[in-house]
Amino acid sequence: MSHTRYRVQEAGAPRPFPPEAMARIEKILKRYPTKQAALLPVLWVAQETWGWVSKESAEEVARLLGLPVSHVDGVLTFYTMYNLRPVGKHLLQFCTSISCHLAGAGRLVARCEKRLGIGLEETTADGKFTLLEVECIAGCDRAPSMMINDAYHEPMDEKKLDDLLDRLGRES
Amino acid sequence: MDPVLTARIAKPGSRGIDGYVADGGYGAWKKVLSEGWTPERLTEEVKKSGLRGRGGAGFPTGVKWGFIPKDTKGKPVYLLCNADESEPGTFKDRLLMEKDPHQVVEGVILSAYAIKCRDAYIYIRGEFYDGARILEAAVAEAYAQGLLGEKIFGSAYSLDLTVHRGAGAYICGEETGLIESLEGKRGQPRIKPPFPAVSGVFGAPTIVNNVETLACVVHIVNRGAEWFAKIGRNEKNTGPKLYCLSGQVNRPGVYEAALGLQLKDLIFGDAYGRGMKDGRKVKAVIPGGASANMLTAAEIEDCPLDFDGVAAKGSMLGSAAIIVMNEDTCIVDAARNLSKFFSHESCGQCTPCREGTPWLHKVLDRIEEGAGRPEDIALLERICNQMANGMTICVFADAAIAGPLSSVKKFADEYRHHVENKRCLVGPRAEAAAVTV
Amino acid sequence: MSANPEPPKAPAPPPPPAKDTFTVIFDGRPVEVPKNLNLIDAAKLAGVEIPHFCYHPRLSVVGQCRMCLVEIEGMPKIQAACTTPLKDGLSVKTTTEKVRSSRAATMEFLLINHPLDCPICDQAGECTLQDNSFGYGQQLSEYDEAKRQYPTFDRTPIGPNVIADMTRCIQCTRCIRFCQEIAGTSELTFLDRGGRTLVWTHDGGPLANEWSACAADVCPVGALTVRQFRFRSRVWYLQKTPSICPGCNIGCNNSIEARENVVYRFLPRLNPDVNDYWLCDHGRFLSESLNLRDVSKATWREAGAVRDLPVPAAVDRIAAEIRGAIETKGAASIFFLGSAHLSNEENFLLRKLADHLGCPNRDVVVDRGKPRKIKSQKGWITGEEAAPNFRGAREMGLTPGRGGYGLEAVLSGKSAPDVVIAADAEFGAAADDPAAVAALRKAKFLAVAARRSNALTRAADVVLPAASLAEKDGTFTNLQGRAQKFERAFLSKPPVRAHWELLLLLATALGWGDPDWTPAELRARIAEEVPGYGDRPESELDGGRLLKKGDFAWKGAL
Repeated sequence: MSHTRYRVQEAGAPRPFPPEAMARIEKILKRYPTKQAALLPVLWVAQETWGWVSKESAEEVARLLGLPVSHVDGVLTFYTMYNLRPVGKHLLQFCTSISCHLAGAGRLVARCEKRLGIGLEETTADGKFTLLEVECIAGCDRAPSMMINDAYHEPMDEKKLDDLLDRLGRES
Repeated sequence: MDPVLTARIAKPGSRGIDGYVADGGYGAWKKVLSEGWTPERLTEEVKKSGLRGRGGAGFPTGVKWGFIPKDTKGKPVYLLCNADESEPGTFKDRLLMEKDPHQVVEGVILSAYAIKCRDAYIYIRGEFYDGARILEAAVAEAYAQGLLGEKIFGSAYSLDLTVHRGAGAYICGEETGLIESLEGKRGQPRIKPPFPAVSGVFGAPTIVNNVETLACVVHIVNRGAEWFAKIGRNEKNTGPKLYCLSGQVNRPGVYEAALGLQLKDLIFGDAYGRGMKDGRKVKAVIPGGASANMLTAAEIEDCPLDFDGVAAKGSMLGSAAIIVMNEDTCIVDAARNLSKFFSHESCGQCTPCREGTPWLHKVLDRIEEGAGRPEDIALLERICNQMANGMTICVFADAAIAGPLSSVKKFADEYRHHVENKRCLVGPRAEAAAVTV
Repeated sequence: MSANPEPPKAPAPPPPPAKDTFTVIFDGRPVEVPKNLNLIDAAKLAGVEIPHFCYHPRLSVVGQCRMCLVEIEGMPKIQAACTTPLKDGLSVKTTTEKVRSSRAATMEFLLINHPLDCPICDQAGECTLQDNSFGYGQQLSEYDEAKRQYPTFDRTPIGPNVIADMTRCIQCTRCIRFCQEIAGTSELTFLDRGGRTLVWTHDGGPLANEWSACAADVCPVGALTVRQFRFRSRVWYLQKTPSICPGCNIGCNNSIEARENVVYRFLPRLNPDVNDYWLCDHGRFLSESLNLRDVSKATWREAGAVRDLPVPAAVDRIAAEIRGAIETKGAASIFFLGSAHLSNEENFLLRKLADHLGCPNRDVVVDRGKPRKIKSQKGWITGEEAAPNFRGAREMGLTPGRGGYGLEAVLSGKSAPDVVIAADAEFGAAADDPAAVAALRKAKFLAVAARRSNALTRAADVVLPAASLAEKDGTFTNLQGRAQKFERAFLSKPPVRAHWELLLLLATALGWGDPDWTPAELRARIAEEVPGYGDRPESELDGGRLLKKGDFAWKGAL
């Protein structure tokens, strides 16, 4: 059974949006005829504010938009890019769809697992790296393609990967 | 053919409005307004051009626009630009948005005008962080120059455009999945009818068009439907086309050519793929993204890459994502990889797809890992045949079966080898020790 | 020469009247159906079964399960019946090979991940998956992979009244839609997607709306089951008897599901004008209370000691006391108290007895309780009375007659009857209130009929053993003025008798009534004598039809 998205982790404290985030949300709400339509953008604001979307964030978003919190859960868990628990400083996303697979993406993932000592969807103990497989990210002509957080690193190979992990690992 | 859609992508400063305008950008939009084109005239021009949707379905764009009811009963009309490019092997829209965003914006504006839309959205996949930032900057520039907003250039027409980010779901590229997602829900495609042109987002008439399709509209207005219609293999397959070439070729990339470029030229042509890496041979080609039937090496002879040409070969042009596999590729492994993609991306609403896509993946995985049984080949065909052709709410299931079913039919020997010998016929695992079950 | 005059033109024939039905052709057989029906329901009317899971007549149409696939003439691909709009001349084929194989395919897909839980699953015997598999599936499975499971979402409460076994779920979304569209509480949602899709609540729940067990009702499999019923009985041993919920004055139609004289549960009966397909949890779980009994014999208290005696002897004692009071003080020294928990027949009998004796002191009261709501097909109905038949009891004439007094006067001490006859010791909260009971106890003679003991039974001189709602027939009149029958599920254990039997014994002992009367005959007398009860149609009295849990298998009726 592949990794499931059934549980949204608790942050352990209420999550009201800070003022800058609320200002963005106010602007967002003006662009849609219904509050519900602002749900995905507002969840992005939550993720950009805290790095992930917690159960308390989901409840706060539900309250702000007047939605049942179960609806927010349904959306949050449907879309794979919302992090349901904290992720490492560097979210390593390796595409393993067909063109990148043909270019050896599997080997890169295996290398990461070995070097970092973690499996897919896991985070290193020092909180630096989280490892994910993702589906096609439209980097097929620069396969194997991958992203770290919001930036593409393509084409990736084992040497570049080693250097990258070394460099990022050395940062404080 | 001189580049049309990709004419500006290599220019420094290709993103900014100043460069775009200096190159004649927004000329089409200003022409439409200053010459007083009616929306109907614009639609007619697009119809005459023969433009067919570049997102995968190839439906004539002008005809689609014509499906909006004459009387929308007071409901606004919405234009949604489908920038959810997620079909494996496809990367042309990413290029257009990142390198020439104003071409996309102008295409959206023109098309919104043609369907009398007041509020338009660009639904861009969440993974395109850069693309979204670049588009938002371009939209802001367009507003600043009065190309968007209230009563544009003193005309009666007002248009607002919002960039809306998805969050990781291939199915949101399906037009009603996109609509559901824009409404703030799970991206689960809708029952059709009603069709979006009648009842779409927020219960209102909606047109969903692909990025490349909308970009074409700019050039149709600038240079005329006749000019557009003369490009391409025949009157049913017109205009310039972006092809996404990937796989084991020397030069993968986005290539622009007249619609109907020969597949062999794309793979081997000096202006294009320049042949197979390391001198290997072609084994199989997927001509239209992961949702298209595989073609064997023999079948790539005389295959014009347009809607009808690829259909005649028993596959589809789809998103024009041509994925080339060489003789070292284990087809079963490739089919397994494709089935994993569909299993991950199924929305889960309806029974045949929700249950069938993981089943396909599990059987293919078992065969690839050396635990295949003789009856598995017939089983795969049976699973595929009972998932598609109306069994499901949307054609995701029809897409999901394309790779596995076509590969089972066309590479049957390779499947049999896996079952009998418990290992790959070719590829890195061909010499691996047999796995005992 | 003038031309011949033109013959007068015949007037144009009037246009044919517009039909208010569509002609739909089912496998070559044309049938007239109302225009606003779903095709699945139109098929039911035509006697054609279109198997389905996710469609429910009161929930939005989602077309997800893909079981209802049929061939529509003019459309090349198989179509979901539930999403095919009706139109005049629609031609549907349900018996072709394509339809057969599509159904078999859907069944196969549903069963590959479904656990073989039938031996331990409550739903067995009323399970749509079983029924459709048997009817339309194939026997053998070719699935040789691991089945997907939701191990931490099995055998676990999802709310106070519902237990979840989500591995059994077929993702039809009936429960989700019920909570959104009927209950309005939206506790349930899909989580994740694809083959991993799970139905659950936010952060574990609870599924706690007032009708939460209806989510288990609509579930076509055993993914959601009712906690109170879990493992208690196989459903094929249960007998269904139409009844009326005793919880409030809405009078939801239910069925008593019983076995060997024990009530195991209530299920709703479909009455679109009252409770439609639903029951509230409060009313539904009153089923258990029907099995409780403290009073099994007639008793008589004399000089502090309580003795058993046969029911006829106890009734004779009551009659003697009544005759004595009439001789010495007159009929106005007696007070007859009916009950909003008793039937029209029973309250009618009591009032007729009071009339016969010339006693103007008779009354019935009802407690006002927490408002209960149920959604009929046309909208919400709210019941604020904590008993099913106050309106009926009043309409049977249980109000003080000219010069007579009611319960309030007795409780306040303003009036002091010598004899109090309370037809139902559980008439209301006052029966357990010490001050109220003390006021009633001021009477020289206090007789009650009861099933449970309370302060009133403990104070009474004579207690008669009375049947539960499951052990007698009768009619309640609900807040809409609808007279609805409830039927006896099983006989009471002698000497326990229905309240109407006890009252009839007393009445005939006092010279009124026919000892052979049944509730039906009492109803006929009510129809003759009580204004407004003269022409109640059988359909109103019978109320809603029995439902199999989840209601799929009924052909021919909607």
